[in-house]
Amino acid sequence: MTEERTYIGKRTPGLDEKDKVLGNVIYADDFTLPGMLHAKVFRATKPSAIIKKLNADRARKLPGVACVLTAGDVPNNESISNVVGQTTEVGLLEARHQVLVKNRVRYYGEAIALVAADSVAAAEEAIELIEIEYEEIPGVYNPLEAMKPESPKIHGDNNIIAQWKLRKGDVKRGFAESSVIVENTYRTPRQEHAHIEPESGVSWVDDMGVINIRIATQVIEHYRDVAAVLGIPQSMVRIKGTIIGGGFGGKEDVTAEVFLGLLTWKTRKPVKLTFSREEMGYGRQKRHPYILKYKTGASKDGKLTAMEAEIISDSGAYVYLSPWVLLYSTVHSTGPYFIPNVKVDSFSVLTNNIMTSAFRGFGGMQVAFAYEAQMDEIAKKLKMDPLELRKKNFLKKGSETANYQKITSEVLLKESVEKALSALGEKSKSTETKKTGRGFACSWQSYGRMTYLHDTSSAWVGLELDGSAVVRSGIPDLGGGQRESLRAITAEILGLNIEEVHVISTDSQVTPLAGTVTATRALFMSGNAVKLASEHVLDIITKKASEMLNTSVKELSLKNKTVYTTGGGSIPLVKVIKQCAAEGTMPQSLATYKAPFTDPVKTEVIKDPVFADFTFGAQAAEVEVDTETGIVTILKYASAQDIGRAINVNRVEGQIEGGAAQGIGFGLMEDYIEEKGIPLTLNLATYLIPTSKDIPDIQSIILESKSGKGPFGAKGIGEPAITAAAPALISAICDAIGVRIKHIPATPERVYRAVHDKN
Amino acid sequence: MDNFKYFKPQNFKELLNVKYDLSSAGFPLAGGSNLLIYIKEKSIRSGTLIDITSLKELRGIKKTGDTIEIGAAETISGILESKVLENELPFFSVSMRDFANPLIRNKATIGGNMADASPVADTAPPLLVLDAKVVAASKSGIREIPANEFFSGPGKNNLSKDEIIQKINIPVPERGSGIFLKLGQRKGTSISVTSVAVWIVNDSNKITGIRISLGGVAPVPIRAVNAEKAFSGKIIDENNITALAETLKEDIKPISDLRGSAEYRTAVSINLLKRAILTCLKTEE
Amino acid sequence: MGEKEYYNIKLTVNGKVVTGSVRAEISLLDFLRDNNYIEVKKGCDKGDCGACTVLIDGKATVSCLTSALQAQGKNIYTLKSLGSWDKLHPLQKAFVKYEALQCGFCTPGMLMTAKALLDTNPHPARESIKEAISGNLCRCTGYRKIVDAIEAVGRGEL
Repeated sequence: MTEERTYIGKRTPGLDEKDKVLGNVIYADDFTLPGMLHAKVFRATKPSAIIKKLNADRARKLPGVACVLTAGDVPNNESISNVVGQTTEVGLLEARHQVLVKNRVRYYGEAIALVAADSVAAAEEAIELIEIEYEEIPGVYNPLEAMKPESPKIHGDNNIIAQWKLRKGDVKRGFAESSVIVENTYRTPRQEHAHIEPESGVSWVDDMGVINIRIATQVIEHYRDVAAVLGIPQSMVRIKGTIIGGGFGGKEDVTAEVFLGLLTWKTRKPVKLTFSREEMGYGRQKRHPYILKYKTGASKDGKLTAMEAEIISDSGAYVYLSPWVLLYSTVHSTGPYFIPNVKVDSFSVLTNNIMTSAFRGFGGMQVAFAYEAQMDEIAKKLKMDPLELRKKNFLKKGSETANYQKITSEVLLKESVEKALSALGEKSKSTETKKTGRGFACSWQSYGRMTYLHDTSSAWVGLELDGSAVVRSGIPDLGGGQRESLRAITAEILGLNIEEVHVISTDSQVTPLAGTVTATRALFMSGNAVKLASEHVLDIITKKASEMLNTSVKELSLKNKTVYTTGGGSIPLVKVIKQCAAEGTMPQSLATYKAPFTDPVKTEVIKDPVFADFTFGAQAAEVEVDTETGIVTILKYASAQDIGRAINVNRVEGQIEGGAAQGIGFGLMEDYIEEKGIPLTLNLATYLIPTSKDIPDIQSIILESKSGKGPFGAKGIGEPAITAAAPALISAICDAIGVRIKHIPATPERVYRAVHDKN
Repeated sequence: MDNFKYFKPQNFKELLNVKYDLSSAGFPLAGGSNLLIYIKEKSIRSGTLIDITSLKELRGIKKTGDTIEIGAAETISGILESKVLENELPFFSVSMRDFANPLIRNKATIGGNMADASPVADTAPPLLVLDAKVVAASKSGIREIPANEFFSGPGKNNLSKDEIIQKINIPVPERGSGIFLKLGQRKGTSISVTSVAVWIVNDSNKITGIRISLGGVAPVPIRAVNAEKAFSGKIIDENNITALAETLKEDIKPISDLRGSAEYRTAVSINLLKRAILTCLKTEE
Repeated sequence: MGEKEYYNIKLTVNGKVVTGSVRAEISLLDFLRDNNYIEVKKGCDKGDCGACTVLIDGKATVSCLTSALQAQGKNIYTLKSLGSWDKLHPLQKAFVKYEALQCGFCTPGMLMTAKALLDTNPHPARESIKEAISGNLCRCTGYRKIVDAIEAVGRGEL
């Protein structure tokens, strides 16, 4: 179908970009209220200890201090963030999060007390006046150690808090039938989100007694968590999201909401809390470091016969979203390949390390590094071209995955790889000390949440009397153009100029709840909801117009604020709206889109569909390795992704390029290092993310199979954009130096060692 | 509780007096790119910030006789833009191209970078191979400290409590060429893992003079005297350079930290030295 | 504990004289934000991210590591000096046209660095642009579109 669209698939202008380049946007920390207090968090400086004494008397007496809160002041201190949405049979879920440490500190940076004062300086001074004495207790910092029965326990009596399995066919037989078997162990780093905007928010009590929290968040529905901690009705807490200065999953779990809610609830005053860069380090979740043991077998002609894997996730000191992340890893662990015999065992293990939770890619990235390395190694053993090998094994529409899920969309992996590779152009030459190499990697990444969570998204669309439209959707805007896409969809369906559509978003009090901006679900879910609502509004209009024009609905179309008949007749939209209003048939609709629903996963073995669909893509890189220093320079880079249907081409490219850059960081330099639970990379001088000199001009290639479950056949791109970056780079490095790096990031030292150990 | 004062001396004499009076409680403030971090990190809690930026005795890049004088409060950008350096000693300005990033280069000063005495201070190795002198001033007078003897430990220098750096004097070498190679963990804004500067005088392929300095491989930036000795008087080719460069091991005492292990630092220092010498010899030809 | 000392300060921000009273250690960034120049962003407060970049006497630098008192008497320019709703600066037009931003948090600093670059090098090559913005971290875009936008202004496209 080559239907001509006005906005869909075009480069639509940004809704907020002009204000962003003018410096007009009021981000979270830019907002102030009269009489506002400033908050600071007192945090643990031991990774594993018992608090013997905590005395805040001196802090409380400091002039300017409004209140100091400790665990005893929190109505429900132990509760939140423990909702992992699955039956307890599949995971030990005793690792209850505490708002403030009552007794036992489980990681360096854990919050112990809150201070609110009339100035930042007074709050900081009060923090220094809090007296604490610890008794250090044995901790465990290595997940392999933590799995042993004799290791210290973080919570309950088992550090393994989640296990998932894949069981398909008979791996023993599969390996027996293999002519090559490749076995390797891979390790991935503890990546930090490193959004440039710190976590920040301002809270106050309004004239209805509702606690308002204006905050940079990917999840406005944390108002429920605040209410639970305070023990007040959920309706008494409002979260109003701001334009977010970057999130990537880092503003998915509760950030400052609960602290702000508590302080405002106690003081009845406005309070601001913004984390420092160092606090963003030790006080916030990171990407789970993984240990991945893979064994993969293939026949002589390159058909995969069996795969066995053990995946171990360092899940830090509290559960958060670790079991879900692990489930993603497990389902995606085979890669986008059909493998008849699969056995995967994965473990989420608690340690006294920093918390780990959601991060763009959500468990899909660590396994991609492993499964793609395995494919390259098999190709090498078989002396087969790596793309030829993959072509023999790619999943296809209709294939069944190892969790017995049928692929329902197109799989354009072959095309993605070919396009990405050809975009690299001619290969650069090596010199004696500067070796060039090329590599690519494929990925699959689900979009939308797990189907057993019965995800929904609501949206309201209505027409004003002048014919302009209003969209109300709770979805936050993370900078990816979430609101813009909704605007384009409504404009497209109602035939309006895009400037005539206004989107009100991210406010739990005034916008229909749309769920989170996470899991690459915003366009898929809210896009569909807005499409449904817009189509319903169109129905109302055309129905009324058909009465007014005395013609059938089928003959009507809406464009340029006019309803046209196929026969050449027309009526202005505003007239139809006025008639609707006069009759009390308002041209408005509240729609809820439901993702495909499945039953909850009841066993550790995942043997049912758990995702709505997947995005498939490939990334390719050409690198130059300085063999005398180990420094890797990326010369060329391309990423090709089948995003189903581009709603806004600009934004799709932005996701593809930005995802690749963040993935390059993961592959080459990023690692939040802790030594026995003590963080060492607390600022952006030691925790390194790529600069403009580290990232080449990334070529983004958009493929459109129009086969996705999102609006107009769109798939999701936020997370899929990052997944294949690291394995593509490692493959290119391997091509250059002849050695595969199995422990990322591939820092200059690791690359140097790889070169050196070979010789 | 933090308690800072600010003082801006109106002339050089006043600066020396106030530094004498305040002693170690007086912190010269130029670009602030180190000092403000220490204050924010609370490793300094009190004292007087002595604003030295506008004193003419600490400014300017000029050539006097055979010496280039760089005022301590000159920024790295100022060094990169200096016509005097471009004409008389391009090696030094070229060496500063990879210093942090343009935003910091507009702020950080040569005096501040030296006084901070980081083992990986990027001004140090080039200054050491140029036999530069740190001109220290106090109420009781002026003295020249050879750059090579300026550092006493990580973050420590040999200034007296009443002294400030007034300028850096660099004798313009009559002959030779130099190069500074820096190895960081990323390409933009990186802190050196290790860095190597060399200055070579080459006569018909024979090295008749050589100075080598390294950062990041000892508690302070060092001169590699053993390696210098090994290379002196040698005709360098592909066959002997490795063995000669290996003598660097006698000069360096690297540690393992976040940015690299001791073994790695040793290995890449040797490789960078080889690369530096070969590059220099090539440009000498 | 003695009372902290405060110092009078007077400087020019975007052509307007701003006065105040500050402590010795206060950064220019905090001073500007306290005076409602909220377009200057605090990303790391240690000079590592460039979000707080302003022009001081024509040079782009991080305001978080600049002592407010050292800005005494100087001309400071923030993003708000570039253009207005009705008359965007060519760089601002280019950033919108080339989608050189996503979350927009690094944008105020990025634009000021770009401004300083074009003031001294009106037609920069891509590599010069990448060097110039290497102290301004962006976590969303992968930089390409930012470089495209600055390059386009250098070409005189906007």
